[in-house]
Parts: sequence; structure tokens; C-alpha cells
Amino acid sequence: MVARFLEISNLKALLNLLRQRGPVHGPLRGADGVVRFASLTRGVLPDLSASRTMLPPKKYLLYPRERILTYTDHEGYRVPAEPGLPLILFGVHPCDLAGVNYLDKIFLGDDPDPLYSARRARLILVGSSCIPDRFCSCHASPSPLQALSDLFLHTVDGGFILTSESACGDELLARMQSVLEECTMDVPEDTRRFFGSTDAVPVIAEPEATGPEWQECADHCLGCGACSVCCPTCSCFDVLEFGGLDGCSAERVRQWDNCLFKGHAQVAGGLSFRKDRAERFRYRYWHKYGGFGPLRDVVSCVGCGRCRVACPTGIDLRQLAGQLDKGGK
Amino acid sequence: MRKIRLAIAGLTACSGCQLSLLNCEDELPELVERFEFSFFPLACSPAELTGEYDAAMVEGCLSMPHEKELLLELRARSRYLIALGTCAVWGGIATLRNGENREQLRQLVYGQNPVADATFDPKSLKDLVQVDAGIVGCPPETAELLRLLAGLLRGALPEAIDYPVCTECNMREKLCLLLGQNKICLGLLTSGGCGAKCPSLSVPCEGCRGPALETNLEESFDVYARHGFDRLAVRGRLRRFCPEWLL
Repeated sequence: MVARFLEISNLKALLNLLRQRGPVHGPLRGADGVVRFASLTRGVLPDLSASRTMLPPKKYLLYPRERILTYTDHEGYRVPAEPGLPLILFGVHPCDLAGVNYLDKIFLGDDPDPLYSARRARLILVGSSCIPDRFCSCHASPSPLQALSDLFLHTVDGGFILTSESACGDELLARMQSVLEECTMDVPEDTRRFFGSTDAVPVIAEPEATGPEWQECADHCLGCGACSVCCPTCSCFDVLEFGGLDGCSAERVRQWDNCLFKGHAQVAGGLSFRKDRAERFRYRYWHKYGGFGPLRDVVSCVGCGRCRVACPTGIDLRQLAGQLDKGGK
Repeated sequence: MRKIRLAIAGLTACSGCQLSLLNCEDELPELVERFEFSFFPLACSPAELTGEYDAAMVEGCLSMPHEKELLLELRARSRYLIALGTCAVWGGIATLRNGENREQLRQLVYGQNPVADATFDPKSLKDLVQVDAGIVGCPPETAELLRLLAGLLRGALPEAIDYPVCTECNMREKLCLLLGQNKICLGLLTSGGCGAKCPSLSVPCEGCRGPALETNLEESFDVYARHGFDRLAVRGRLRRFCPEWLL
């Protein structure tokens, strides 16, 4: 097929062309060694060799803590305005693209979230190929989630092959003609092949509530919340409302929650659906691997490996999933 | 709207928590509109207890007989008694030498001066009275303080924080000082709500907010041990702000 080739020395020029559409963010390694999606200002090149960023693209769609409604006595509740400027996220790995696809299903589904929708509409995704490391498990089982981007860069010798996957991507490619070369080259395989599977999904049976594995996980869990914070598909949130000092205004705040926290299943009167951490672990597993509601049977682990890197005690739900599966359940 | 009647008092402490409130300069005009600072010896004199209070906010721990009397009096006169800061909630730094001989300690500090002849091992407020709510921190975050006051306007008490400092540190995408730099950071065991202020500036968490709502001590000790800190080292740090870490 005819492919478009970008020589590595032209990467800066390509980023400059992208900047004409809006600010570009990509993986950057800080002085502390942590790789984060951050603003790629002019002249700054992304770290495309990094295995993963600390936080996934989720942080651009759902902020860790944000105001979702404001209230005043005379205006009632209002959704805060969301700027409509495009944002280009560059160098997103297929697992993270699939993570965005999962969040889309939740937040753009039958009752779209206005803030998520606005941010998603302005987000331009530029994917890039990657080499899985020992923490990655995208290859573990084919996922029905799709690794969709507007543009995709495959790393090849001396540069990248660019492909477009959307009208926006076509438009971007057209703008980039000056830095691209047409060539005939096979587009190499990449980890996107583990996503978008149309095969029948093996149904995971509901795990037993009394199995010893939940207590084992609970014994090791420190309750630090790192696993859900770094997860591209964990999107449970808590909603709090704070009144203003003027006595007639308020703000409603949404903040990332974790199903292993005490408050996650706590309701009015201090009652809780899941009092101990073993129960919460089963819930976590069952949400990730069984799925709830319209997303039943969609495994929401995209295999990015972040939780395995982040857990201070090395808890690994993937491994547990494998064990439970082998147990013939 | 009726003004909310407040009593704000300091027991054995540095007054830092009360100062945090006075430091909210931008909000002070609004605050005096909504609240009657009826008893607030640090800020206004004369300070006399009169009538009943919608809420009493008390900083510091109990270490002297007259503080017990004041606290009982405040409790009896107030709908809500709110512990302000880690000393009031957990005991705090003043409890560091608890269990040692009081008379020797007293002489070490005051010699023959009878000024502190009736002190006792410092305790948190809940050791004497029912505490309806508390906000922790040394000092508490001003945003927490203002939210607490705004809540009182509506008769509401602050929500319990159920996550440790680590959660917010991760949200801020900061390098883990314990796992990444082998520093003795107490974020794992310390209540969140500060926005991981210290670790996000590469300063290990000192545990000033006291224990997180749920902790896993045994496993945490294992993690600290893997990074070169034995139980004694971790325990010493933890107890600096909270003697209830008896362990």
C-alpha cells in the first residue's frame, strides 16, 4: 500500500504543523524520571520510547477533582463553561486509545456527560506504536475495545509511517504533505491488533464471594488508591457539594474515587454495601473483568500495566484473572 | 440570615490553626457578615463565655486543669464541638513525651517556677468530651477551614476523608518518594486532603494529618522494610503527630 513516511529529523516540523491546530501534549520525561503527558512546547520532542506515562489520557477528559455544577439562588444549577479549543494528544499507545474508547462508552453513552463530551470533542488523538514491556498485557486476550485514533505513527527504521483513521486525520495529513514522503511500504503490525476483536467474548463467570483470593488481595492492599488513579478505564467518582460562604451559592465537585476506599460503597447513615476490603476486591475484579450494565462482558483492563507498576505491594489482578479462569469457572 | 455564633479557643498548641483562619484575609469580611465571633481570645478581647454557641472550634490538646474546665464549658454551651487541627483530633506533638515522668519534664523546662505544676500527659479532645467533627492538619488547609465554616452556615459537618496522602500524590503524577527514592514518606498511612502538599515538593510526608481512615499497618511495615526502614524508624515518625499509633 501507499504509505506516508516521516523522516525522524522531520518530527519537529510535523509537531509545528500540528501546533497550527492547537496545543500539542505528549509523553515527556521529567527531571525526576517520571513520564507524563505534558505540553510539548516549540522545540520539545516527546519521549516516544517510554513504555507508559504515569497517568493515562483519562486526565484530559475527567479531571482528578473538578467542579461539575455551580449553584446560585438566582440562576439555579449551571454546568461550567468548557473552552472549545482543540487539544492534540500525541504519542498515545494503543492500550490508552482503547482506554479512551471504554470511557467514551460510559460518558458518551445513553446519558452523555456534558463536560466529558466537550473535552472529548476537542481532543485529537495521535497514536503511536510501542513495544510491550514485562508489565504490559495487551496481548493476554483479544479485546472488543477499539484502539481508535485520528492519526497513527508506526515507528520504522529512520522514522515513522503515518496513517489516518478519521476525517480529522485526513485533514491533518493533507496539511503535512510538505514533510511527508510517499513510499510503498508494508505497514508493520502493531499492538492495535490486540484490540477491536469481533470474536465472541468468552464470558467470565461471576467469581465466588467466599473464595480465599479476595482476602489474600485484601491482606496485601494498602488502600493507597494508586491502582485506580493510574488506570485508563477506572472512572468511578465521588460527588460532593460545598456551599459557599455567602450562604446563597454552592459548587458540586466530582473527584476520582477508588472502589477499595471505605466511602465508595457507603450510603446515608454510614451503612456500607462492602464493609471489608476483601469484598471490595471481589467487586473491583468483577467490575474490571465482568463489567456492569451495558458494558457487561467487556473486559475493561486494556493491559497497559500501570497498576502493576504502581502497586507498592505488587498486587496483580491480571494474574488473579488467569488463576480464576484456570480454576474452570 | 441569622449569624452563626462561634466560640474559637486554643488549648495546648501553637495557635497555628487559629492563625490559619485569621490568615484568610480575603474571606474575613464575608466571615464577619455571616458569623458572630463571640468568643475568640486570640483575635478579640474581652473574651468571655456568654450564652450558647452554634459551634465551638477548639485547637490544641488538653494538658492543664483549666483547659479541661474550658473544654467542658464549651461543650456544654455548644451544639457542635469541632476539633481544629491534628493536636485537637489526635493529641499531636505535645504528646511526644507522654508516659515519661511529668515532674522531671516540668523541672527540665521550668525549673522551680511553679507555672506548670499541674500539667498532665496531654490528651486529645475526645478523651474528655464528645467531639462532633474535626479537621486535621498541622495546620489544616485554609480551604478545609473555609469549607467547614460554609458548612456550618447550613448546619452541616465536614465529610470524612477516606483516602491517604498517596492518592492525591498519584493524582498529581508525582514521583513516589518511598518507592522511587527510598525516602521515609508517611503518605501511605496518613490521611489525605492536603493535596499531597509536601511530597509534591519532594519533601517526604511527615504524617501531620494523622492516620488515614483505613490503614494496613502490617503490610505497610513490609513495604517500608523493603526500602530500608525498620518498624522502629517508621513508628518513631508516625507517633510524632499521633500517640495513638501505639503499634
